[in-house]
Amino acid sequence: MSWVRAVASSGEDVFDEDMDDIGLQNKEWKHNMEKRAKDGYRDGVDAGKEASLQIGFNMGYREGAVKMKSIGQLKGIVSALQCWYQSHDPGTPALSSIAELLRRVEEHEEAVIAAMRKAQERPPPSVTDVTETMEDLGMEQENECGKSGGRGRDGDGGGVCCGKNGDAGGGPTQRPSQNFNDLGESMGQLLRRCVEIVTQHGLPEELKRHLLELKAP
Amino acid sequence: MASVSESDDLFDCILMADDRFHVEGYREGYEEGTREGLLEGRNHGMVHGARLSAELSFYHGFAVTWKYLLQTNVDAKSKKRLKAVESLIGLISKFPFEDSQYENLQEDTERVRAKFRQVCSLLNVTADFRDYVSGSATMSF
Repeated sequence: MSWVRAVASSGEDVFDEDMDDIGLQNKEWKHNMEKRAKDGYRDGVDAGKEASLQIGFNMGYREGAVKMKSIGQLKGIVSALQCWYQSHDPGTPALSSIAELLRRVEEHEEAVIAAMRKAQERPPPSVTDVTETMEDLGMEQENECGKSGGRGRDGDGGGVCCGKNGDAGGGPTQRPSQNFNDLGESMGQLLRRCVEIVTQHGLPEELKRHLLELKAP
Repeated sequence: MASVSESDDLFDCILMADDRFHVEGYREGYEEGTREGLLEGRNHGMVHGARLSAELSFYHGFAVTWKYLLQTNVDAKSKKRLKAVESLIGLISKFPFEDSQYENLQEDTERVRAKFRQVCSLLNVTADFRDYVSGSATMSF
């Protein structure tokens, strides 16, 4: 490693060197330290990602599942009503309002899934610029040896630092900005419409109660 | 002698600086990677969880409705249908499908799908719900 030689020799006889040479060596040192930090950063990103992807997946999975429960059930209820009337009373005017409601429920379900897909396909926000990180690390050659001392050794405890950062997996603060609010409102409307149909056509009271228990996500 | 030990110290110092920059870079990177991984994982997981939940909740709503419609009838055919419908509701109610770590997720999903097909055939429902049944689910990366 040429930079190691360069700095080591500069310690022996600094004053014989041209200022230009020292400047070059400083540059080389800085360049190499930047490269070390960048390599470390890249390794860290890979390790952090690997450790958190599954945790994120599990959380998102639950969120998505909870979100679709009411919509899925409502779709099942309206589909069942359609099947029931088709076989028991095919001429009833109820069928057209049921078909209309089913279409709206399906549209709503597709919209919710589409919003999730969009979030899935959108690339994650760009990695913090590496050069910014370099500034945070305080890349200054002259402070290097005096200050770093034991800190370099402390830093070797990679396991400690991983464990500490791994805790962050418990509570992510980032939330994809998905527009579920209007969709939630429309879910409430769909539920109310279904209750109306059930009441209007004298369908079982238990079904109405079941519908009232379903909540907009 | 003194100059040798000084240059050793300097050498150690350089090596430590080398490590220090790598470790500090790693720490920053790990934080960023964790943030990215959680977000990316969450966005993927959400779609998978939503799909399976939409399917199973559909079966649930479907079965519950038939149960309420059938339970007032006392003929043998209705009783047989009701029994199948209630068994489907039982399967879904016991199934923690919102947990991607649940060990029998795949197995139970297949069981519910098979039961649903059986219920449909008992109810003479020919509606095409294949959209759901074809959906595959992978639970990890």
